[in-house]
Amino acid sequence: MKQEYSIQLIRKELLGETCAVLTFACPEIADTAKPGQFVNLSCAYFLKRPFGIMSVDREAKTFSVGVRKVGKGTEKIIAAKEGEQFTVLGPLGNGFCFDGVKKLLLVGGGTGIFPIFFTAQYARENGIPCEVVNGYRCKQDSFLYDQFACSCENFHVTTDAGDLGIKGNVMAYLESMNESELEGTTVMVVGPGIMMRKVSEWATVHGLTCFVSLEQRMACGIGACLVCVCKIKAEQEGKEFVHKRCCKDGPVFRAEEVIW
Amino acid sequence: MSISVKVGQVNLKNPIILASGTCGFGRELAEYMDLSKLGALSSKGLTLLPRDGNQGVRVAETPSGMLNCVGLQNPGVDAFLATELDYMVESGAGVVVNVAGHSNEDYISMVEKLDPYKDKIDALELNFSCPNVKEGCMVIGSSPKAIEALVSDLRKRTDLPLWVKLTPNVTSIAETAKGAEAGGADAIVAINTMLGMAIDIRTRRPLLHNNTGGLSGPCVKPVALRMVHDIYDAVNIPVVGCGGVSTYEDVLEFMIAGASAVELGTITLVHPTRPVEIVSDLEKYCEMNNIEELSSLTGTLELWR
Repeated sequence: MKQEYSIQLIRKELLGETCAVLTFACPEIADTAKPGQFVNLSCAYFLKRPFGIMSVDREAKTFSVGVRKVGKGTEKIIAAKEGEQFTVLGPLGNGFCFDGVKKLLLVGGGTGIFPIFFTAQYARENGIPCEVVNGYRCKQDSFLYDQFACSCENFHVTTDAGDLGIKGNVMAYLESMNESELEGTTVMVVGPGIMMRKVSEWATVHGLTCFVSLEQRMACGIGACLVCVCKIKAEQEGKEFVHKRCCKDGPVFRAEEVIW
Repeated sequence: MSISVKVGQVNLKNPIILASGTCGFGRELAEYMDLSKLGALSSKGLTLLPRDGNQGVRVAETPSGMLNCVGLQNPGVDAFLATELDYMVESGAGVVVNVAGHSNEDYISMVEKLDPYKDKIDALELNFSCPNVKEGCMVIGSSPKAIEALVSDLRKRTDLPLWVKLTPNVTSIAETAKGAEAGGADAIVAINTMLGMAIDIRTRRPLLHNNTGGLSGPCVKPVALRMVHDIYDAVNIPVVGCGGVSTYEDVLEFMIAGASAVELGTITLVHPTRPVEIVSDLEKYCEMNNIEELSSLTGTLELWR
């Protein structure tokens, strides 16, 4: 039976002024989490807050999440001190499917870069050739740059400001890629909606399988309350869309299913 | 020592019922608890035809609670009968089926579709109180006369216990409860969510894309408790208390105020194992306080003069 776990914050690393990586001791999540899954983490307010899992350490029995301050709840979570207790539900959601994946192109933007890190970690551990493209606003905002650079051989960065990597957004890099190097690639993208939409359109043009990880305001995170739905193309004739639950049916969906 | 309760003719092994709209048909929460330990489970509100619900943002957090505007997303009564009812029955919890219509005719059609399954259903919960749909529901539930007329019509069409779930968004919930009783309801369930709003000060737009939503959670408990007290005083049929129940002490408060059982749900969205923890807390409470029958607490409130 699944449980709500009481967990301790064992390490907090601030990333710039608005982000932090929080590491918690939790064997159950460390042992079972898959890339693309998330946890629902308590904060000082009523509802829990969902965060994509950034990494797990199966030996130390810990997992980490990246948090960006976007409201009062995330502000409280980032302000927590090492040793503080939280409660958590997880791992939640479906996660990415790696069945039949020969090589990967991972695209991250915003807080989506955190779950992309876990996905890259998984690819490395499972011998799946993997290329990563992260889009940042500027060099100062390029959190996890060093961690990606030293763990991924094939790592690229774009910045809106142009002060690190290629100037522009992730599309600037993707559009520079050769058709021949794309063959057989599966694309996984986590980031702002507009970015995921553009990348999935690009993947369609090139005939690539593409998965996206959708985000919506959530409550329970376990599929019971139906507040976090997203629009997915309906299979039934005459019907445009169905509402699927981001938390339980997703957050990962095949890009071609999504109505943006 | 017993924590079993009766709501009219409906026997429940304990007073804990998962509230409609917070537990689907039980499948998701079954991963976190043994549903057979619950008194009952009230299904997601069903409509005659499938509904997609409202689009866009459906939730906003509030102090000690939340607003939602899901808008009765559900597979429709036919799909429920085909794929969900047996699951609820086999879960071992009591089965309450929540029925939400857009019109009197919708309620009539659904009750007629559900009546043949009376062996599998413990009670029908008539949802006259969803604040997130434009027709039916809360519109009917705001008028004691409209409630009485519809309940008395439905009463003729089924022997299943009819529980009427009332909205707090009225001047006097005692009056709407009396309407339900006059129509032949077997019990009153109170309260559904309170209509509320939240605004993004940067965009000057409502946070919810339906503009308004239903408020639930611990923040509504004092209002719900007062309303259960008012209803208990006003009618002679049992009351099922609902609104912000989060601990066994909350259950006891509602029972003392007059509730025969309680529904809870918003707390389950935060702590999914809480309902079964409350069941075992109630057992401990009865043992420690030498209470033979938990049901003996119902309506034992003594007011200050």
